[in-house]
Amino acid sequence: MAERHTNLIVASAPHVVSPANTASIMRDVLIALIPALAVSVYVFGIRALMLSVCCVVFCVFFEWLSRRIMKRSNTIGDLSAAVTGLILAFNLPVRLPFWMAAVGCLIAIVVVKQLFGGLGQNFANPAIVGRITLFIGFASPMANWTITSRMSQAILSAAEVDATTGATPLALSAAGLPVPTNMEMFLGLINGSMGEISAAALLLGGIYLIVRKVISPAIPVSFLATVAVLSLVFGLDPIFQLCAGGVMLGAIFMATDYVTSPITTTGRIIFGIGCGVFTMLIRVYASYPEGVSFAILLMNILTPHIDRLTRHKTFKPAEGGASK
Amino acid sequence: MSAATVFYIVLSAIITNNYVLSKFLGICPFLGVSKKLDSAMGMSIAVIFVMVIATAVTWPIQTYLLTPNGIGYMQTIIFILVIAALVQMIEIFLKKYIPGLHKSLGIYLPLITTNCAILGVCVLNIDNGYGFLQSMLNSFGSGVGFLLAMFLFAGVRSKIETNDYPEAFKGVASTLVAASITSLCFLGFSGMLEKIFGM
Amino acid sequence: MKKTKLQILTNGIIRENPVLVLVLGTCPTLAISTQAINGLGMGVSVLVVLTCSNIMISALKRIIPDTVRIPCYIVVIASFVTMVQLALKAYLPSLDKALGVYIPLIVVNCIILGRAEAFASKNSVIDSMLDGIGMGIGYTLTATVMACIRELLGSGTIFGHTVTAGTITPFTIMVMAPGGFFVFGCLIALVNKLTKGKAREKQQNKCLGCPGAAFCSQKVEEGGAEE
Repeated sequence: MAERHTNLIVASAPHVVSPANTASIMRDVLIALIPALAVSVYVFGIRALMLSVCCVVFCVFFEWLSRRIMKRSNTIGDLSAAVTGLILAFNLPVRLPFWMAAVGCLIAIVVVKQLFGGLGQNFANPAIVGRITLFIGFASPMANWTITSRMSQAILSAAEVDATTGATPLALSAAGLPVPTNMEMFLGLINGSMGEISAAALLLGGIYLIVRKVISPAIPVSFLATVAVLSLVFGLDPIFQLCAGGVMLGAIFMATDYVTSPITTTGRIIFGIGCGVFTMLIRVYASYPEGVSFAILLMNILTPHIDRLTRHKTFKPAEGGASK
Repeated sequence: MSAATVFYIVLSAIITNNYVLSKFLGICPFLGVSKKLDSAMGMSIAVIFVMVIATAVTWPIQTYLLTPNGIGYMQTIIFILVIAALVQMIEIFLKKYIPGLHKSLGIYLPLITTNCAILGVCVLNIDNGYGFLQSMLNSFGSGVGFLLAMFLFAGVRSKIETNDYPEAFKGVASTLVAASITSLCFLGFSGMLEKIFGM
Repeated sequence: MKKTKLQILTNGIIRENPVLVLVLGTCPTLAISTQAINGLGMGVSVLVVLTCSNIMISALKRIIPDTVRIPCYIVVIASFVTMVQLALKAYLPSLDKALGVYIPLIVVNCIILGRAEAFASKNSVIDSMLDGIGMGIGYTLTATVMACIRELLGSGTIFGHTVTAGTITPFTIMVMAPGGFFVFGCLIALVNKLTKGKAREKQQNKCLGCPGAAFCSQKVEEGGAEE
């Protein structure tokens, strides 16, 4: 009981095996995030880069520190902490104080991942939980959107009327105000969380990941398709709904996390549809303007059940002996 | 009472005012019986069953017996005794007449007397000034909310049971942190039902 | 092995802390620990009920028939809870409002029924009183400390006095449900660390204390495996 099995990590499938393998996957994810980072720096200026670097450094530091405190092997080389840091940074508004970003990194890496035993053993996506806790815990700094001259005219004129809020496209749409054109939305000439703004850049990254076979298209496609279909059902503009908020970032980079999404393709499609349904329900009805992160977290929690139901019959354990 | 009101009461008890994840009632079984899906579901169904019956009995007692006679302060004593007796009677009744159901729910019934969610729902129905039908709906919804929380958490626990936790977090501590993350996702639905049903 | 009076008193404060080691009474602790004053108020209410019911049950232990002992304990406990409830309503109405439904729920708080079953029904009146006071203090300390942590992080105050509010943005999630579970988990981990895992062994057998939970751990596991 007392010995530590440092090298004997029992993770639930799929086994993202050796560190070298994980590192190469994570390197691809980092490469795929570069276009979105570039757009973010173009639109928001140099602080976007500073905040991103800050999050990556904090996440890697917390990973190193928690492994050290637990007297376990060092895992910062697998780059997963760096990926979590960059994705978390993409979920933050550019003016967020650095210490608040550090709190988010602490929750993502230490509480959600290392406390449960490290990569492969967390049941929720670290960046998602980091985002949600910051979003609820620091509600007003997390909604402090920056306006720059590179953004759409619709946002600039809305900001002139009410300089304090700097409402995002989703908030403008909820208030019935003019919204940016679909092309502006697609390119990312809008305000919002740093890395979420440019659907084009995120899609580019997504295509790279699919071509490199890092992610399967099942989750992003079913997620995005569900959002589009439900937009039509609710009488909303599907292009606008797909490009606004965190849908692209969530569908391509967060919902596809191996550890917290189902194993089978059927399971992944169910997962993607679920994410889309809850995202739209929260967008249309709940008091929060954006629901992507809550939807993904809920589906992360449902993943063990989805896996149980979609597992191949041959692997199904005998009746009653479900788990133990 | 319109259909919208009915759905609103039931759904808000399930989602936004979830007994376990937002009101912290029934935490003991939530932590203790959520390891296996079968037990979690059995316990939850027993809870729904007893919640509804307990409300059906305690609400009239409070409204027609205690309050008119000016002994409303006897609520706590009377309610807990009624619930304890009720659970006993349900068990005897099931054993005799519906043995199949007794076999699947019987083992959970003795635990339910001390499940604070049951007494909690009975007292809250009175405190909130609900009518009889409203109380019944609220109790049913609260029970289903308990089932939902148990269902979600049983899945999470099946996934994290074999994890290699840090020494200090082995056992209850990590289960509580997992519950913390699980309770986060329920916050996303705040305000939703009010908007859907125009409350 | 007979314990001294002092040992009985201090037993509940750390070694068998009802909340952090025996993991009893989790519901009210999680629910009310959003403000230090509520934690303290709840703690003292539990302390009073626990001490009184321990004394009463110990005094009546020869009179109460074994077969109906649990209902009898519940009646005794419920009576004291009602007294505390009425006293709070009369003298501290704001606290009564803040604690709300969790005051009547002291009746089903496993700490009290657990101590009645595990201690008061087997020991002398004086020992039972000391046990009640010790366990009560242990509960009060835990609830208050947990509430202080959550209030400080979540609102930047302690007992309503401004500490960091205004200078540091409070992390409001700490006073919401997820913060409760999280702080509680961390405190238990801290106790595990301090007792080098001894506390955890007791947590596994937490059901020792609670008559209802005796079924939880054993019967349910068996029942689940049966099918």
